[in-house]
Amino acid sequence: MKKILLLAFALFPALGFSQGFQVNLEGQKQIGMGHTGTGVLLDGASLFFNPGAVVMLPENYIQAGISPLVFQSDFNPSGTVTQYHSANKVATPFTFYAAIGPKSSWWKLGMAVYTPFGGLTDWGTSWQGKYVLESLNLKAIYFQPTVSIKLSKCISIGGGFVYNRGSVDLTQAIPLSNNSGQDGQAELKGSGNGYGYNAGIYIKPSAKFTVGLTYRSKVTTTINKGNAIFNVPASLQSSFPQPNSFNSTIPLPATASIGVGFYPIKKLILALDVNYVQWSVYKVLAFNYANNTPALKNTYSPRNYKNAVSLRGGAQYKVNNKFDVRTGGGYASTAVRDGYVTPEAPDANRVYVTTGLGYHACRHLDVDLSFEYEHLMSRTQTNNSSQLSGTFKTNVYIPGISLAYHW
Amino acid sequence: MKTLKKYSYLYLIFIGLIGFAACKPEIQTPKPSRGTADFTRYIAVGNSLTAGYADGGLYREGQLNSYPGIIANQMQAVGGGSFSQPLFSTDQANGSGYIKLTGFNADGSPITTPVTTNLAIRGVLPVPGFGNVILYTKYTGDINNYGVPGIKLLNITYQPYGDLNGYYERLLPGDAPTNTTPYLDFVTAKSFTFFSNWLGNNDALGYATSGGAGDVLTDKGTFAQLYALLIGKLTANGAKGVVATIPDVTTVPYFNTITVSAIVAGVQKANPAVKSIYINALVAGTTYAPRIATAADLIVLTFPTSMIGQPVSTPYGTLPYGLTPYTPVENQYVLDQNEVAMTLDYINAYNTTIKTIAASKGLAVFDSFTFLDNVKAQGLTVDGISLNSGYISGGIFSLDGVHLTPRGYAVVANEFIKAINKQYGSSIPLASVAAHHGVLFP
Repeated sequence: MKKILLLAFALFPALGFSQGFQVNLEGQKQIGMGHTGTGVLLDGASLFFNPGAVVMLPENYIQAGISPLVFQSDFNPSGTVTQYHSANKVATPFTFYAAIGPKSSWWKLGMAVYTPFGGLTDWGTSWQGKYVLESLNLKAIYFQPTVSIKLSKCISIGGGFVYNRGSVDLTQAIPLSNNSGQDGQAELKGSGNGYGYNAGIYIKPSAKFTVGLTYRSKVTTTINKGNAIFNVPASLQSSFPQPNSFNSTIPLPATASIGVGFYPIKKLILALDVNYVQWSVYKVLAFNYANNTPALKNTYSPRNYKNAVSLRGGAQYKVNNKFDVRTGGGYASTAVRDGYVTPEAPDANRVYVTTGLGYHACRHLDVDLSFEYEHLMSRTQTNNSSQLSGTFKTNVYIPGISLAYHW
Repeated sequence: MKTLKKYSYLYLIFIGLIGFAACKPEIQTPKPSRGTADFTRYIAVGNSLTAGYADGGLYREGQLNSYPGIIANQMQAVGGGSFSQPLFSTDQANGSGYIKLTGFNADGSPITTPVTTNLAIRGVLPVPGFGNVILYTKYTGDINNYGVPGIKLLNITYQPYGDLNGYYERLLPGDAPTNTTPYLDFVTAKSFTFFSNWLGNNDALGYATSGGAGDVLTDKGTFAQLYALLIGKLTANGAKGVVATIPDVTTVPYFNTITVSAIVAGVQKANPAVKSIYINALVAGTTYAPRIATAADLIVLTFPTSMIGQPVSTPYGTLPYGLTPYTPVENQYVLDQNEVAMTLDYINAYNTTIKTIAASKGLAVFDSFTFLDNVKAQGLTVDGISLNSGYISGGIFSLDGVHLTPRGYAVVANEFIKAINKQYGSSIPLASVAAHHGVLFP
């Protein structure tokens, strides 16, 4: 009769597909030029950047690249001098593009595989925000068969169907200690699918100027029957029934882009892109468990993201027949409102600079290197639901390499 | 050849940039300041809460997680000196003994078991006219944490107190029954620069936890007089400090876990005809009379609910316990509505005294009364942990329903630190609440 309303606490798994997880690493040449590519045509990566431009490629392309990403975040809890650093873990976004068609034809077909969203954050099991998040490994891999059609000498269009294979592996501590004082642990692990499209128009009014418009649709990704693993003190395990599974739906936002390319001299390409990312679709994060108990309820946490804009600029200079050098940079506004910043990708307005080197190894083969440094402005926040309060500051370092075979 | 050279340069730049990736971001924080206070020697004055008492006992792990210990640790960043607590040795780590959660019954009620090994009990001293005093292994080292479980403000000038409280006796050099050092003299014997004081809880709590039966509330005037004496002596040599108000004792789970409605509901499972239980309640002064219990009457956590309905022989025949006006639940198990009101009235008077005297001396005040009232009303979320005043599930209160868990003590330590920083312009860093655990589950 000693009635205890045991465990009325709420477990709120955090999953932030924020800007931090929009990895934007879709082609080494384009990364080198500050992620521009909507309005310029460089190689098969246009399958991502602007499917409409692909048919204008003078050659066929098969290419692959990888951009190992080190996400380094620092957290300083409010009112303290303590600093918690996320672990150095390397995520590996990759790209594969194939764009093939008859020479100088009115059509080209393509296949693109790329990772537009992803992240790997590991704060460890003893930091102050462990009950919000310990680690998150998130991947979205898009498969995009594409067709690109030339309407006239100066206008082409293209589009592709997008199939997303997403996966998530999230761990957080549960504030229920066993007799040795160790926390309980929750792990939510699963994968799911989503569908969408990517379409674009490419216009070449003159030899000095090109312009592109694209729209990449929202891809609502649903994770069904992911594993919900709860490790709690034995006397409480019945409140966290095992095995258990969860469902969750995450809308990956649509992006509308406009980009232009200028060619003032033969050796120089200048590019500008503006992206409008419709993050406002990310209103809530809901987790539904197959087996609920009074301690383990379905959760519904508001996210209320706002739409974000990124501005990108870049240049490529052809040094000689063997080498191109590239540089660029940009700014992206945060999608996360005050009070909603969470540690999985502590989002803030960000700036980045990039550089790149293209090497024409032989007539058919390009080797491209890229490097990006991205800085997220420090942001001091108290999260509305977790009350985790402090300052986040994040740097991201991304080297990359790709090989492109063209004929 | 020329091309290759250029290529090499660019490649080197590229590699250099990758090397740059080794730099971690750092957030610049201002250097913590001691403000106008001096934390060179901090002493903590108080009762069981100050000592780190938890789960119905004083034991080493509780001592290590005492709020003064946590505060002192944070003071290190602003010139705080070493802080010694009268810890039980690791061999006798279980100190007085305590209760441990060992499981749950089918109905979800907790099963607690006393810990009786590795105790620090050295004997029992019968004191005529008082009772038995349990004596503990003496502590002989430096002391900064003077928390003595059970002590009231009323006791601080009482010379033989060292013979009546085993927790105080273990700090004194002399063996009971030869002690003559009053607590106030003992804590102020060695100079100090900063103090915290949270005395006064037991002046109300002793009455309340005994259901208003086994103790009396300290007279309001006596409280004010002793508090002025205490603070006068603590500040006599220019030390600065922080004091805390007395929480509304009725906000703790000790009084809110077993409710009248839960007991009635339990009885109704066996006997649906039962509509209410009877208690022996305060009418006025010292007059008690049986009446039907209401939600405003608080049943203590230690009430053995199995007693309800047990046959009791009375002049009117054998009647079930608690279910008739002739067999009411006894006074010591209930803090009834009038007793609650009286306790609250005294606590409010004590707190007015505390705040007035603190203000006159320019001391920092942690208003634990308001803080714990808010926690009870709204709960408290910190570092992603939802805390509340619930028994076991709340995370703040330990298994005795009165004292705190290490996590609860960390929350309290941070409230003290905030009060100190506000009053003295210091910036003692806050402690991590997440780093301290709540109730331990088997």
